[in-house]
Amino acid sequence: MRQIITIVIIFMLLICTGCQNNNSAKESSLHVAALTGPLTMNPLFLRDAASAEVAALLHPQLLVTDPKTLMPQARLFSSWQLLEDNLTYVFSLHEDAYWSDGKPVTAEDVAFTMRVICHPDYTGPLFQPLRYITGAEGYKLEHSSPYADGDISGIEVIDEKTLKISLKENYAPFLTMLTFAPVPAHILSGVEVAQMESHTYSHQLPVSAGPYLLVEWNDEYLHVRANPHYFLGKPSINNIYYRYIPNQEAQLIELLAGKLDLIPTAVKVEDIKNLKNNPDIKIYHNPRLVYDYLALNTRKADSPLSNKKVRKAFTLLLNRQEIVKNLLLNYGTPLYGPILPLHFPYKETQAVDEVDLAAARRLLVEAGYKKLKLDLIYNVGNTVRENVALLLKEQAAKVGIDIQINLLEWEAFLSAVNEGDYDLAILGRGVEADPDLTFHWHSQSRGNSLGYANSEVDHLLEQGVATMDKNEREKIYQAAEAMIVEDVPAIWLYVREAIHAATVKLQNFNPHPENIFYNVHEWTLADEEEVS
Amino acid sequence: MIPELGRRFMQTVIVLFGVSMVTFLLMHAAPGHPLQTNPELRLDPTAVERWLQLHQLDQPLISQYLAWLSRVFRGDFGESLLYNRPVLELMGERLPSTLLLTLTAFVLALFLAIVVGIKIATQQNSWLDRFVCTLSLAGISVPYFWLAMVLVLLFAYRFPFLPAVGMRTPGDGSILDILKHMLLPLIVMVIANFARYVRYVRSAVLDVLQQDYVRSAIARGLKGKDILYRHVLPNAAMPIITVAALSLPMLFTGAMVAEYVFAWPGLGRFIVTSTMARDYPVIMTVNLYTASLVAIANFIADALYLLIDPRLR
Repeated sequence: MRQIITIVIIFMLLICTGCQNNNSAKESSLHVAALTGPLTMNPLFLRDAASAEVAALLHPQLLVTDPKTLMPQARLFSSWQLLEDNLTYVFSLHEDAYWSDGKPVTAEDVAFTMRVICHPDYTGPLFQPLRYITGAEGYKLEHSSPYADGDISGIEVIDEKTLKISLKENYAPFLTMLTFAPVPAHILSGVEVAQMESHTYSHQLPVSAGPYLLVEWNDEYLHVRANPHYFLGKPSINNIYYRYIPNQEAQLIELLAGKLDLIPTAVKVEDIKNLKNNPDIKIYHNPRLVYDYLALNTRKADSPLSNKKVRKAFTLLLNRQEIVKNLLLNYGTPLYGPILPLHFPYKETQAVDEVDLAAARRLLVEAGYKKLKLDLIYNVGNTVRENVALLLKEQAAKVGIDIQINLLEWEAFLSAVNEGDYDLAILGRGVEADPDLTFHWHSQSRGNSLGYANSEVDHLLEQGVATMDKNEREKIYQAAEAMIVEDVPAIWLYVREAIHAATVKLQNFNPHPENIFYNVHEWTLADEEEVS
Repeated sequence: MIPELGRRFMQTVIVLFGVSMVTFLLMHAAPGHPLQTNPELRLDPTAVERWLQLHQLDQPLISQYLAWLSRVFRGDFGESLLYNRPVLELMGERLPSTLLLTLTAFVLALFLAIVVGIKIATQQNSWLDRFVCTLSLAGISVPYFWLAMVLVLLFAYRFPFLPAVGMRTPGDGSILDILKHMLLPLIVMVIANFARYVRYVRSAVLDVLQQDYVRSAIARGLKGKDILYRHVLPNAAMPIITVAALSLPMLFTGAMVAEYVFAWPGLGRFIVTSTMARDYPVIMTVNLYTASLVAIANFIADALYLLIDPRLR
């Protein structure tokens, strides 16, 4: 027995002391934390957050949007021109863009990629903006070959680096939605579109053109290496390891132990105070294109919520500025309508918080309700939503509304939301870079999960995407927002910021609201001596 | 003995068949499919329809099941709907790291439990016995999640000489590196398993020690060691085998807690995420595989009983 213990102890000591940090690593490496690993390397089939995140490391986006203004910015398309008809765009590809096998990235690659997206067998999420290209819908309906061959009349390759795209009607959000990346036609043009998702290209990524190239993808981490021929210059950090660590506490410990360099997006507000005291760690934060709101379900038969006065009463219960201050520790913005602070039509003056319990009670009485019983659902594991729910319950009780809180596991929560089996729900929504409100608020949109319908709003939203002038669009969306807010289909709560924690050595980290690796080619890692 | 085993084997096959059918029906009774779980996913309805067609998910359930069954008989377990790669390949990549952890923990825990269990059974009510019993009670009661976090805090943060998570340092992956990463999850799993096994071993040995034939062996003047190894152990082995065999399936499906807290790459995490995401081919394969393991473990236990206990033959 004693011998065994001795052996075990010696063994442990050996392991512990055996390999001290050998500083032989001359190459700079950055270790980034992720909660889960990616599912695919194919930029046309990004359906989960992790795959979309790493896609920005491996693939060059056609265009990007500015992280502050969300206006379209050049990337692989180095410049573009909208012709006088307001329908035809001429794009120039970056002259120095090459695939990792040495072949140039051409206009034909982009045209091929767009044909794949418009192909009837394509099952990814990118068709929405391309449906406005002349001939794209016809191609989707009628193209009979299993390959992405043939032609779409609105896509014209002018020369190796120039592409002309004609739209069938004005579509203002078009440019901000051209943020996907092309795939190499010389590798994939011989592959049936139906087979493209499971093709080895999606797993091994033999050829790509982004700032980093795939080295290894296993079930523990993704290893990428700087692309020496990247068209915006070779990134300064040689290696990036994207490590999947499902446990957030463990991520923090690894960061504090110096084994992780960056925890993007998901740092909890309650951890910030500790991290801020650490001289080796810097906190970054930026607004995102997601918001939380309280859904008021009017689809249930004889729901009291069908009465606008009851819904209005709910707007008088919560002080959103207090919620942001106390629950989000100011890492967020109170929200009073569907347009987010980052969007150009956003008006700061709309912020008015009026908690008025007497007025709320009056509205309820006018609506004919002295007492009300409603249920409220939200999902497990979101402490902010949990606290909002409790706050709402407390406030509502004061005006005679009895709220029954139901905490649901994610799948059950989703199915309750999808089936409309709730009175009140605290939900999150993601929006696009363009302020277009169609997806969530047009009566005919499949994303309109609240069943909101207002024909005047529909009309404004249709006008909004068809108008190219920014100032006019601003007016249209502000008018639409005012109408939506007046109808009280929901109580908007707040926009939470993305909070990142990084080693102080990381420089030029400038996260985009949709993508932390937005400017990864500009990141640098300062030497330890330099920092101190 | 052989016909008995043959009968058991046939039963196993029938059970597996039933399991596959029930799993298939239950799985499809759950709402949603992989592209439908999130209402915020901006997928075109026609794209979703095409996707269902391409994966034959638009067919009636019966024909889907029969198609699946015939493919399984040909050794084809299908492709994961999430990863778009063969299920067996994905599971095969994850099994070795799971086995490395669980098998080592199992062997160590069982070995320690047998050695310590016999020791304390022969010294019943001594201070050592009381100490180990208290310790094992604590080991059973403590939530492993908590224990794991405490260990991480202690050895990866306060006294940072061990890595908190993962199996390899990216870019390293030497044997020493893996051993270092393995230590904390291994300690948690050994404690968890040891605490359970040692009580079984102790009570099994105690039980046998009180039998008449042991008393008569002592009366005949046999040496303590001979009694222990010849008379006590073989008879005490039965309940120990049962417990050990029944924990075999867990070894192959992974240790969820350890894999989550320590971010150990393995089957357990893969199974849970796939199930959450309604990855049908993975769910089916995993269920069949787990059911087979349980069946095989029972089969092995039965076979071992027959070997050890002549009365059953």
